[in-house]
Amino acid sequence: MNCEEYKQTIGADPKFDGGAGHLSECTECQTYRDEMRALDMKIGRALALEVPEIAVPELPDMENVVSLPERRRLSTPTWFAMAATVLLALFVGVRFAGNDGVVYESLADEVLAHVSHEPASLRVTDIAVSDDHLRDVVPANIAEMDANAGLITFAQTCPINGNDVPHLVIQGEHGPVTILLLPDEMVSEAVLLNDENSHGVILPVGDGSIAIIGAQEEQLDEIQKQILQSVMWST
Amino acid sequence: MHGSNVEQHRRQRFDQIVGVFHQDMYRYAAWLSRDKAIAEDVVQEALLRAWKSLDSLRDDAAAKPWLLTIVRRENARYFERKRLETVDIDSLTASQAALLSEQPDDDLGAMREAMYSLEDEYREPLVLRVLMGLSTNEIAEQMGLKQGAVLTRLHRARAKLKRIMQAQAAD
Repeated sequence: MNCEEYKQTIGADPKFDGGAGHLSECTECQTYRDEMRALDMKIGRALALEVPEIAVPELPDMENVVSLPERRRLSTPTWFAMAATVLLALFVGVRFAGNDGVVYESLADEVLAHVSHEPASLRVTDIAVSDDHLRDVVPANIAEMDANAGLITFAQTCPINGNDVPHLVIQGEHGPVTILLLPDEMVSEAVLLNDENSHGVILPVGDGSIAIIGAQEEQLDEIQKQILQSVMWST
Repeated sequence: MHGSNVEQHRRQRFDQIVGVFHQDMYRYAAWLSRDKAIAEDVVQEALLRAWKSLDSLRDDAAAKPWLLTIVRRENARYFERKRLETVDIDSLTASQAALLSEQPDDDLGAMREAMYSLEDEYREPLVLRVLMGLSTNEIAEQMGLKQGAVLTRLHRARAKLKRIMQAQAAD
């Protein structure tokens, strides 16, 4: 377990008492753990609002209540109306509301912005995340990955366009390469990504897509092949 | 069993469950809506709905997550009905401000403000974990998320609160 993993774990659960080996050698993580535990105590006290007297409303006599029928299925015209709305939205152009409250013009914009929002993911390291952690982030019901994917040094669930998706990082020749598995984002063809410091692509894969982003000088062709060979959607 | 006895037994069961969990229901509603008056309305509606569907609760040991689910749905219905805007901390109504005014000390007040300013998606899992004591599995079920996503949100929520509190201390 490294510092990043320990901090993530203790941040998610300050009562976590594993990682003793790492903790005994790392005073920074010891301090972080103590801070998180103190913070949690304070959060608990702050959340415990005083509860006013709440009167129980008048409760109907259930002996005389007749069960309602099952919720009816949507009628065909309703389905047509919904489908038409979806098509209209696609035609007009969908805007992407990111987790940070910013509305992105496209999936490509949100993907590029997300990479820079996660500085912790861009560490250069040769320490792989544990298999257990990887399985938590990429559960079997989303996708299966084999060892061809490369050395995965960061794995976290992140919100993209309202869906929680696996955000992975592997180490490339010129630094970290970000992989976003997007099982719910279908693209009709490869979408090229480009900004000042990075470039990449969103590749159509089955009913979803995979975004791969690296430094400008990174050759992504080989990495793309690796990823496409190692990832298989479960649905 | 005679009809009225059934009804009496049902009422006893209801009172028992609600007696134990009404504080949790209110606090959850208050932190979801960030408004004491709305929380009271939501709890009233939730109690009524719980009464009507009490027979669907097979095991009283599962009463807490069952009631919290009802509160969550009633809160969503309330906001859907009223089409309320999101709350800006600088322009609170009296009822919203009341949530923050109840401060036993400055430090706790600062933490309440920090909680108040946290986005719903981070505040809610924290309330369910720290205050309600739900497991990450139960939170995932309640919020329709994967367990990994809950852990990530909990981590981020705490990290955000830590940053807010540090910034407040520095001011």
